[in-house]
Amino acid sequence: MSDRISASDPEIERLEGMAPEPGQLLDQPTSVWRTALRRFLHRKISIAGMVLVGLMAVMAIFAPLIAPYGPNEVLIGKQDVRRFEDPCIHLLGCPESQPQHILGLDENVRDLFSRIVYGSRVSLTLGLSTVTVAIVIGAALGAIAGYRGGWVDNILMRLMDVVLGFPGFLLAIAIVAVLGPGLRNTLIALAVVTIPQYARVMRASVLSIKEVDYVAASRALGASSSRILLTRIAPNAITPLIVLGTLGIASAILEAAGLGFLGLGAQPPLAEWGTMLAENRNRVFSDPHLVFFPGLAIMITVLGFNLIGDGLRDALDPALNE
Amino acid sequence: MTSYITRRILLAIPVLIGLLVVTFFLVRLIPGDPCTAILGEKATPAACRSFDQRYGLDDPIPVQLVIYVKQIFQGNLGDSLQSSRPVTQIMVERLPLTIELTVTALFLAVLIGIPLGLLSARRHNSAADVATMTFANIGVSMPVFWLGLLLQYLFALILKDTFFALPPSGRLSAGVLPVPFYEVWGWAVNTHTMWGGFLEFIGEFAIFNAFITGDWHLLWDAVTHLILPGIALATIPLAIIARITRSSLLEVLGKDYIRTARAKGALERRVVAKHAFRNAMLPVVTIVGLQLGLLLGGAVLTETVFNLSGVGKSLYEAITARDYAVIQGFVVVIASGYVIVNLLVDISYGFLDPRIRYE
Amino acid sequence: MKTTRWVALLALFGLIVAACGSSTTDTTETTAATTTTVAPATTTTAPAEPSADFQGESLDAGSCDYGGKIESITALDEFTVEFDLCSSDPAFLQKAAFTPFGIQPEEHLQETGGAPLDNPIGTGPFMLEQWDRGNQIVFKANPDYYGQVPAFDTLVYRWATEGAQRLLELQSGNVDQITNPSPEDFQTIQDDPNLQFIPIANPNVFYMGFTNTFAPFDDVNVRQAIAKGIDRQRIVDNFYPDGSVVASHFTPCAIPNGCTGDDWYDFDPEAARQQLADAGFPDGFSTKIFYRDVFRTYLPDPGAVAVEIQTQLKDNLNIDAEVVVMESGDFIDQSTSGNLDGIHLLGWGADYPHITNFLDFHFNENQTQFGNNFPEIYDALKQGAKIGNPDDAVDVYTTANNAIKDLVPMIPIAHGAAASAALASVEGANYPPFGAPQFEFTNPGKDTFVYMQNNEPISLYCADETDGESLSPCQQVVEPLYTYAIDSGDVVPRLATSCDPNEDLTVWTCHLRTGVTFHDGSTFDANDVVASWSVGLDASNPLHVGNTGGFDYFAYLWDGLMNAEG
Repeated sequence: MSDRISASDPEIERLEGMAPEPGQLLDQPTSVWRTALRRFLHRKISIAGMVLVGLMAVMAIFAPLIAPYGPNEVLIGKQDVRRFEDPCIHLLGCPESQPQHILGLDENVRDLFSRIVYGSRVSLTLGLSTVTVAIVIGAALGAIAGYRGGWVDNILMRLMDVVLGFPGFLLAIAIVAVLGPGLRNTLIALAVVTIPQYARVMRASVLSIKEVDYVAASRALGASSSRILLTRIAPNAITPLIVLGTLGIASAILEAAGLGFLGLGAQPPLAEWGTMLAENRNRVFSDPHLVFFPGLAIMITVLGFNLIGDGLRDALDPALNE
Repeated sequence: MTSYITRRILLAIPVLIGLLVVTFFLVRLIPGDPCTAILGEKATPAACRSFDQRYGLDDPIPVQLVIYVKQIFQGNLGDSLQSSRPVTQIMVERLPLTIELTVTALFLAVLIGIPLGLLSARRHNSAADVATMTFANIGVSMPVFWLGLLLQYLFALILKDTFFALPPSGRLSAGVLPVPFYEVWGWAVNTHTMWGGFLEFIGEFAIFNAFITGDWHLLWDAVTHLILPGIALATIPLAIIARITRSSLLEVLGKDYIRTARAKGALERRVVAKHAFRNAMLPVVTIVGLQLGLLLGGAVLTETVFNLSGVGKSLYEAITARDYAVIQGFVVVIASGYVIVNLLVDISYGFLDPRIRYE
Repeated sequence: MKTTRWVALLALFGLIVAACGSSTTDTTETTAATTTTVAPATTTTAPAEPSADFQGESLDAGSCDYGGKIESITALDEFTVEFDLCSSDPAFLQKAAFTPFGIQPEEHLQETGGAPLDNPIGTGPFMLEQWDRGNQIVFKANPDYYGQVPAFDTLVYRWATEGAQRLLELQSGNVDQITNPSPEDFQTIQDDPNLQFIPIANPNVFYMGFTNTFAPFDDVNVRQAIAKGIDRQRIVDNFYPDGSVVASHFTPCAIPNGCTGDDWYDFDPEAARQQLADAGFPDGFSTKIFYRDVFRTYLPDPGAVAVEIQTQLKDNLNIDAEVVVMESGDFIDQSTSGNLDGIHLLGWGADYPHITNFLDFHFNENQTQFGNNFPEIYDALKQGAKIGNPDDAVDVYTTANNAIKDLVPMIPIAHGAAASAALASVEGANYPPFGAPQFEFTNPGKDTFVYMQNNEPISLYCADETDGESLSPCQQVVEPLYTYAIDSGDVVPRLATSCDPNEDLTVWTCHLRTGVTFHDGSTFDANDVVASWSVGLDASNPLHVGNTGGFDYFAYLWDGLMNAEG
């Protein structure tokens, strides 16, 4: 059983509980995956989440085809339009003489729809990168801590506790304040704040297999322990990380928007949903389209990842599957 | 049991110390110095020299660290660089509001989240499941300032002059001044003493204070001002509580003893209510406790949007102004609070779940 | 469930405690809490003649060697104060009317150790009742005020950082007047019959600054080329509210001699490209645009304007400019020290209505913001500072303005329009071009008037504050010798009935108003004036404490503090 050194967050615990049982290791990893995938696809929640995320992914990949203008294309002088122009959709009655901008124009006279479409690239990349970095570093730390044990384990987990002791968003603000505003520093700040969770989960996985390690090693055909670590433990230990990671993408996108609201996130003229929302927060009553559509884009994406995460957890948690 | 508790407490101490030291250095890493940040466009070298001297900022770093740690153990969190007031005083004024807001938010989150989770678990993998989880997750998927602005617009403008109108921001209405209970009752209290300071702290809980002095006008005013921010802030724990209730209940429902009860022919509802529910609630209770600690420091955006001078907003402003004393002091208190809450949750978990005690 | 049990217990506890407590109080009738002891002002009949046994105090630097503007301040008798200056100052009254130079009772300054941070005592139309930290400040009308007694009982200051929040509060009827609505909402306010739109005529300017110690901005041709290559009208048309104008000069025309001399360059992209090519940059160059994301009337939308300038530089001159946002304090520090290698976006709002506040502050011999200084400009300014009557100084300032145009230390872009908004039901709602609203002239038709500004004050001792959010509430309570008129940049007598200068404007003799009492009942006399000024101006004064101890406006407007260290 895992030795909980710090606070027991039931969510983390559940994920720690998804650490592979010793018996599972001797199964073929691929069959475990296949069953999980089947279960995942059976759940309506997963489907719903995948539809939403898929929509955003399509938007991101085919952005140049979907968006009528460039994300930073200023239209002053090129078209007879003003800042904050309301949406004009020809199909819905807007006169043909006016140029079509289905979501209107923003504060620098750029097409809002195009910016939102290109913004999906930024947000998805940001979310994926943050989580990837955090998982890689966190899992490495957790694996080392779990495998080596002893004082290495203690020091590393203490460190994780200190980071966890700070309110996450405030620590992110502090880190960005130190490093300076910008997208790259936002990524670093959010990654740092979330590393401890992945470390703990990975550590739990590794711990539960550690004793079996020797048994399996002795039974195996002379395979080295590191080989076992890589080929047997890692694929199985990844499952809770994936669940956490999916939810992590959702919160990374949201927290980046929050940092943007405080002026610390992506900087102009980059088309990032959170920054777009933040810049126009004072125009929520006079030009609601500027606030509504970026907010909606964030909501759909984040909701999608949250639902996928829930579905994954259901599919992969052995305790839930009778 | 005692060894379990002692062990947890001992393990918490190095974490707290680590927090103190990390905060100290982190804050000094932020570019820009307090003098320019606070005195602004008119900061001259002479002014900054006297400023730095006054606040001990010209001492070497190790000296500052030692003074800082020493003062904390004396209960002195230093003076704010912006307003020259003791940080403890500012904390006494700000913390109660954040606690009231957090409690309101948690109350709403539990009220809505648990039934949602139950519903979802009962109708596992159905359209109702999806709908419920979507609803629970919508709140947490929306940027909280967006939601806040929408709520304000709805309740303060559209519903203005109706029964449902709510004040859009602030803690109390203009001109409504709270009177601490000890003044109402004619006690002579010196707020500069420890006991006096504690009484002042209690008096700052506007709702509680109004309640015990029987000032219903003030009570109503304070409560109505907390409804909208409470809703906005509740969306975060609501999703988590719904989710954990759902998965916890699902897990329990799948357990052997439930199967046994079902096999014995007990009614489905009774099975759920009696056995599953109680056991499933353990992790939920834990989560609620943890959220309390989390929300205390994390309500920055809500407090900003609704103009509530709580801990989160003050901390953000202090970071912007490089007010080292406030940042250090507040982080120490918040983080300690979080660690202590975790400790209490751990200990209570030990009481609730006998298996844990014997690790 | 656990939670409900706790709630029930808590409620029970509360009920028990309440039952043991005393009777309820009516909270609308609050007693002054722990902050200020405000005794009702008594009307004493003060003698019109100064009393013979009055001991006048004085502050004397001894000589002008310390480098400041003021040599001494002396109470000649109970109602006369003389200011001796080291050099002539045509703007003496305009500066003295500034809120940091408000007068508080000498005894009160002593009692508070030089730091009446949350309990100022003054002579103004309002008295401080309580500062409910974080939430609001409550004032009561001063019934014994010698000027216009307010038409309502209670004045409340509140604050919200976002323009949309402030407007929402106004529209929902919770506040009566707000400051700085978002420029995008100007039209909404004007169209709303329940609100009134109040334009503010505060002079300000927004400019693109160069640091001419960094290449290629060390070449005046490059600077001139950029000046011709920016379409300033397009910026004002698109990014500023109605009422804003393109700057023809650095100083707004409302300031005497602000607009003498030639108008700024016209937008001429071909000429600009040609000049840039001649200077050696036919394909442009790379640089940076530095700014801070802070709302100011001179630049309400910094982010959008930065991007716009970036676009224009690229389209018109093929200059690649990276937009860099900096933290506010850091930005001010670096830009004013001349450390930024690139273009910086900054502006200036008038402190007092005189051209020296604009030109001298930015283009004097010792300034570091724009790099090297130009004698063509600062010599002319030095001459102008000696001339009292603006009409006599026209030629001098024409020279200065033309030199600024030729040498392009910066490019002035716009004078931003500012506004306030109030409920239509408020009579006499105002926002003067200088200073804070004068609430004694408003009538909301009810007992309480609620005003909402951007932020909470830092303290209420304005001798040691510089932010507008502190100066505004201070001004309601504490008064200087003169003050600004409600609708122009003129100064009008306040605690002084007149201040008469000598021939060369180096000695100002101020005659004080008699029969005035402070809010605590004490009598106002010349020693209070000397004390209030000394505490700020003399660094060696034991009461020179304040909040941060900077007393910045004393140092800045009077060229330095007496007995300052280092």
